[in-house]
Amino acid sequence: MTGKRYGMSIDIDRCTGCGACMVACAVENNVPPAPEGATDRKGITWMRVFPVDNGRDGPDRKSVFVPMLCQQCGQDAPCVSVCPQQAVQVDPATGIVGQMPERCLGCRYCMAACPYHARYFNWWDPAWPAGMEKTLNPNVAPRMRGVVEKCNFCHGRWHAAKERAVGRGAREIDPADYVPACVEACPTAAIRFGDLNDPRSPVAQAAQQSGSFRLLEKLGTEPKIYYHSAREWVREIGRAPAGKEQVHG
Amino acid sequence: MDRQLIARGVRRCSTPQFLLWILPWAALFAFGLYCAGLCLVKGLNQTNMDNRFAFGLWIFVDLTIIALGAGAFFTGFLLYILKLKDLDAVINSAVVIGFVCYSGAVAALLVDVGQPLRAWFTFWYPNVHSMLTEVTFCITCYLAVLLIEYLPIVLRNRKLREVPGFLVFEFELHKLIYVLAGVGTFLSFFHQGSLGGLFGVLRGHPFAFREGLAVWPSTFFLFILSAAAVGPSFILFTTWLISKLSGKRLVRPQVLQLLGRISGLLLGVYVLAKTVDTLIWINRTSPGAGFPAQEYFAWQPFGTWILFAEIVVFGLAPALILLTPRLRLRTNWLVSAAVLACLGVALNRFVMTLQTLALPTLSFDRYLSYWPSWQETGTFLAVVAFGVLVYSFSFRYLLLFPQEREFRQEPAAQVSETAVMDPVGRS
Amino acid sequence: MRKTTRRDIFKFAAGSAAGLVFTPAPWRLITDTALWSENWPGIPRPARGQTRTRFTHCALCSAGCAVRARCVNDQPVSLSGLAGSPLCAFGLAGHQLPYHTGRVKTGAIEEALAAIAQRRSHDAVAVLDLRPGRTASWTYRRAMAALPRGFYLAAQSAIPAVNLDQVRTLLSFGAPVLDGWGTPSTVLAARSHFRLIQAEPLESHTAMLADLWLPLRKGSEQALALGIAHVLMQEQNAGASFPAEATAYSPARTAQLTGLPEAQIVSVARELAPGGALVLASQEWPEILQLNRLLGSVAHTIVGRRETPVPASWKKAAPVTAIEAVPDGSIGVLLIDESVCDGYLPWNAIEPKLAPAPLVVTFASSRAGYGRYARFTLPTAVYPEMTDDIPPALDSAAATFRLATPLVAAPAGAVEPARFIAQLAGLPPADALRERTDAIQSSGRGVLRTYADGKSIPVKGVKPDDFWKVLNEGGCWVDAPDPVEPPASACQSSSAAVVAMTWEMRLARGPMSPLLSKLYEESNLRVRL
Repeated sequence: MTGKRYGMSIDIDRCTGCGACMVACAVENNVPPAPEGATDRKGITWMRVFPVDNGRDGPDRKSVFVPMLCQQCGQDAPCVSVCPQQAVQVDPATGIVGQMPERCLGCRYCMAACPYHARYFNWWDPAWPAGMEKTLNPNVAPRMRGVVEKCNFCHGRWHAAKERAVGRGAREIDPADYVPACVEACPTAAIRFGDLNDPRSPVAQAAQQSGSFRLLEKLGTEPKIYYHSAREWVREIGRAPAGKEQVHG
Repeated sequence: MDRQLIARGVRRCSTPQFLLWILPWAALFAFGLYCAGLCLVKGLNQTNMDNRFAFGLWIFVDLTIIALGAGAFFTGFLLYILKLKDLDAVINSAVVIGFVCYSGAVAALLVDVGQPLRAWFTFWYPNVHSMLTEVTFCITCYLAVLLIEYLPIVLRNRKLREVPGFLVFEFELHKLIYVLAGVGTFLSFFHQGSLGGLFGVLRGHPFAFREGLAVWPSTFFLFILSAAAVGPSFILFTTWLISKLSGKRLVRPQVLQLLGRISGLLLGVYVLAKTVDTLIWINRTSPGAGFPAQEYFAWQPFGTWILFAEIVVFGLAPALILLTPRLRLRTNWLVSAAVLACLGVALNRFVMTLQTLALPTLSFDRYLSYWPSWQETGTFLAVVAFGVLVYSFSFRYLLLFPQEREFRQEPAAQVSETAVMDPVGRS
Repeated sequence: MRKTTRRDIFKFAAGSAAGLVFTPAPWRLITDTALWSENWPGIPRPARGQTRTRFTHCALCSAGCAVRARCVNDQPVSLSGLAGSPLCAFGLAGHQLPYHTGRVKTGAIEEALAAIAQRRSHDAVAVLDLRPGRTASWTYRRAMAALPRGFYLAAQSAIPAVNLDQVRTLLSFGAPVLDGWGTPSTVLAARSHFRLIQAEPLESHTAMLADLWLPLRKGSEQALALGIAHVLMQEQNAGASFPAEATAYSPARTAQLTGLPEAQIVSVARELAPGGALVLASQEWPEILQLNRLLGSVAHTIVGRRETPVPASWKKAAPVTAIEAVPDGSIGVLLIDESVCDGYLPWNAIEPKLAPAPLVVTFASSRAGYGRYARFTLPTAVYPEMTDDIPPALDSAAATFRLATPLVAAPAGAVEPARFIAQLAGLPPADALRERTDAIQSSGRGVLRTYADGKSIPVKGVKPDDFWKVLNEGGCWVDAPDPVEPPASACQSSSAAVVAMTWEMRLARGPMSPLLSKLYEESNLRVRL
């Protein structure tokens, strides 16, 4: 076992909030279009870009975009231990926190457990406009209603890369063969992907650079998504919320 | 036929009157079944739950009614294990209430999950680290225990006793009651705890997360304690309520006072433990996870008042009332304190389930609010109506309060003359 | 024989129930229901098959990005850009557009033809082209020249190019510079060497990402432009070409009108160094255009571009007529090509030009555009079903020729607007695109890029058939660099280059992939729309 530890680095300073990662992700992973009544609270967005500001108004106001996805916790992922039927498991070979929709009961305990709100429930039956089901990616099975799903670093692509490696007679997959859809689509190369255990990988290097931070680090979940910003106030978003706001959201 | 089913020695209202009482509940139940059907057929998009509010009204209600239903196991434990013979007067009612609460909760859970057809996966692929696995196992087993405990009460029905086999079966079953009480107590202690653990283990939500012993967070023990404390209170309250509704003396006042005293004692211990736990959480657990505890209470409307209400108004106050012998003697105080205690546990479950989910965890999260949809509310009402129906039928046809018969033999002021003349309750 | 009693029946039933548990049936049933829950009816199963990579160009906007399509059994299942040339969010979901629920699928083609035939001899016929500069545009112009009274109307005037490499300071009045303007790869590559100042009342995406955001008062854009011009005129003594009204816009007054600090207006004006500045806007404000002239942007950051060669025989074509130049109440038949859309004319500019009881025919895939004013809406192919060429991108200084070739077949009943109009005018039937590529090839200019191998070869050595083949299978023609002076008209027409279509406008004009709308609905990324 080589024991890879796949992770991502996201440079917030480079993100333009175009949403290409979201679209590429949804296309790759066969996420159905929104049914009537879907809102930002009931939708399925494995990758979701949040506009975040510094809370000020006028000329002092500053905003950035923060792409959010499953943070692929590396240490006792909160969602793994809570699942009553082992539908959430960490692959020891890749470190990827996987979700098995065929095993999922839909109790949503994992969603309640996730501090990053990176898990999504299929509130509706998956449905595509007539004909659009032809555009589905054959490497990813569409999920049924009533189960939870989330980012799995494009497991279908990992599988394809593995097959290619086997075809070549290689033991390891070629890093160029395995790139998640969002990474590939990002026009500014703000998202990078690779093996954190490989010190030469750009991701491992990005994780070490100054200005790199993770979300809610103090929870001790050891996320494998590293964010980066040269700006101090942006790095603050990794901390716990301050209850400044006194109004309902 | 109806009259022949009513237990000997007690008086029950007329059949039309009973039907009049049943009808609205049956209608509510039917409506609730329709709502639950919508959720099952069309999916959970019928609810107002969402990805953040993954749990809603149902989980809150489940946790609450399971805590209230704890009266069943705890009374059994006190009666059969600790030999508090006085509680014999309410044990049957307690079993029915327990059965109603647990079966209602399980039914609601089956609607709540996205794929009810896969409910058995938990038994087939159990994740032993999950509190929910513990809950599922214990609740299912305990529901079976409750069913077995309920069975002898049913079999003692006047008509069913005519079948000799049933009588033998009931007699044999009764010999097992100590075993059942023991098993039931263990299972109940365990799953009340697991329900608490459900939220106490959520490392991702430092508002709910608690440190604890071994694999169990402190909420595990607090839930056991609070359930044991309010279980008797709920039995007390329901006995009083049924007595009021039916206009009959059901148990001696001493029984209610005893329930009150037990409840008060445990509630006192619970309030103390909860206070210590809260202090540890505020000063160590939560800041350790990077979340200063005062920030939680800056999100309105859940200010510090909710903490105060939970511990003082609905905890300390009823505990003190129930522990004061003079106040216990006065039914109004006794019942009010019991109701406060029950509300307190409901509030605690509310805080653990819904406030936990409402509070943001990421700095760019919003504080969210949630209001159940009519389909969700309807399903919840079906659980309530189901409980009322099962209890009403049980009360009418089964002997839930053995002392009621004794009151019939020593006619007191409350027993009316017609009842004396009409031993079968034809009135 | 003993009589069967009710009790026996009960016993039998109870016994059967108990016995059933010991048979495999119930357990099998439980497993089956679980399996059923995985293959719930209605969950589509993606088709498997041969995977192939195909190339084309994205026809959704005039950036015309190169597209690598992953196709399974000839059906594109995902689109991506090439290395160094990414696709935008629109483009990534482009392959889902044919399945939009709001798509127009049928139209009364015969009736429309008959109705036009009846009127074209005595009525003026006009074609409104929403993406001028294509081969189809030439066909329209030729067709209109063939008719007794034909007008060719373009939604945009001839587009000069923007040379982003030269830009050092970019002042944008609400133009979505980093959010859908230009070619994503070009804009992002240039982003590191220009300073972006965004003047916009709302905090748009571009405002968020700008180096400086000027949250000016709504509707005070022109005032700011004049205020900046005022400072420039005073400090650089270059006021000759600017209207006198700018003199009235002192920094103090501009500050009052825009709500911006006076010092900031002055400092922004000073940042706009002549020669390296570019001013963009989301609307055609003449003041802003003049600011470009004042800053000497024309010929530096706004440059001219040679035309992509056309066959000599096409020169007999109708001129581009500005809508204002058309006499009121004159157009009897208006044909609108909405199959692709880069800009549009507001209906209130078109309406006065129409004769009483006009015949408006629009070629569109959705009714969201001019469809509501048209008697006939004829269905067209959509990207990626259509065959069309894409005019050079506005940020390309060199002329280009790129084809959007179909990745999937267009539905039966879809009309090709160019063919329809050519036929109407009686042009000889010919493959205009092939004629054009032959003309480009025979010009011998520029290079041919092939996407599959990433090579560029001079056109001179390529055979016409190979040239055509490469363009169809994934490649483009890029003109040789030949910086020419911008035509005198560039100042006038540069408005087209500096006016950028915002997301709001795009969404109002055409359908977008249902998946894309979902993602924007379900995230608050475009909540400001």
